[in-house]
Amino acid sequence: MSSHATSLEAHWGGGVSPFGATWQKTMMWIFIVTDALLFGGLLTGYAYLRMAGTVPWPKQSEVFSIPFIALMTFILITSSMTMGTAVTAARLGDSRKALRNLLFTIVGGAAFLGCQAYEWTHVIHQGARLTGALPGSELAALGVPVHFPASFFVLTGFHGSHVLSGLVILIITAIRSGLGRTPAQGVEMAGLYWHFVDLVWVFIFTLFYLL
Amino acid sequence: MTQGADNPYRIYFTTWIALLVITVLMLGAEALHLPRLFLVVFLVAFMFVKAVMIAGNFMHLRHEHRRLVITVAVGILVTSAILLAYVAPESASVFRKTVR
Repeated sequence: MSSHATSLEAHWGGGVSPFGATWQKTMMWIFIVTDALLFGGLLTGYAYLRMAGTVPWPKQSEVFSIPFIALMTFILITSSMTMGTAVTAARLGDSRKALRNLLFTIVGGAAFLGCQAYEWTHVIHQGARLTGALPGSELAALGVPVHFPASFFVLTGFHGSHVLSGLVILIITAIRSGLGRTPAQGVEMAGLYWHFVDLVWVFIFTLFYLL
Repeated sequence: MTQGADNPYRIYFTTWIALLVITVLMLGAEALHLPRLFLVVFLVAFMFVKAVMIAGNFMHLRHEHRRLVITVAVGILVTSAILLAYVAPESASVFRKTVR
């Protein structure tokens, strides 16, 4: 057997990961890559609709309150910081600090979702529907292309559903952590997912709300 | 982990501050109505800086094995680049045909 084959067998033959990580973390990263590709596809679709359309895209500040979107960004970035702190605290065995920061993260996630619900309500009242702007509505008066509301609902809706599922994961992790049933790695896996949600928002915030 | 030997939590705070500063800069650039091309380059560049900071510091990717980092980065970036590379000429073609 060649040395290369021996090396491969040593890595794959059992116990040792070629990625230098546990199987849980490796699987979590693979999941994150596949989920990132979902958003990659959605953002590419959005880019296509925007570049191929002949009706100019509206100035975002005419439809959305950019300071409000900035507040949502601030909340999500802050919740990512508290999540990171929770992960490190769990690793260092400081379960009280880990739990406290998990709770801060949950509050941040809930606040973000609340803001998103408010924003959706506002945009729907402006006349936005998945199929376009309602005739005679405020949004129709701005002359938005038919794909504008659809892009908004799909991009922020998919992201929001990820925030919601992340929130459920965090609540379960916090409860189990409080009961002493979640190992540090469990908190770390929940943290990876939460940071990923934050990461996706960076792209949506820039490409949809600012550009 | 080799992050901040004296205070292991400092990296999260400094990253948080840096992310907020970059976000404010991006909002400022958007509000200043800078030339479109400059604005696009500026915002996209800082978007990637923020993404690298979140993945590297919050998700600890910079402390992971290089194989994992390469797998994640190549998986996401190259596939997205291929998607965009196919879509961009197609959308430009559709735009030209519709305008004509």
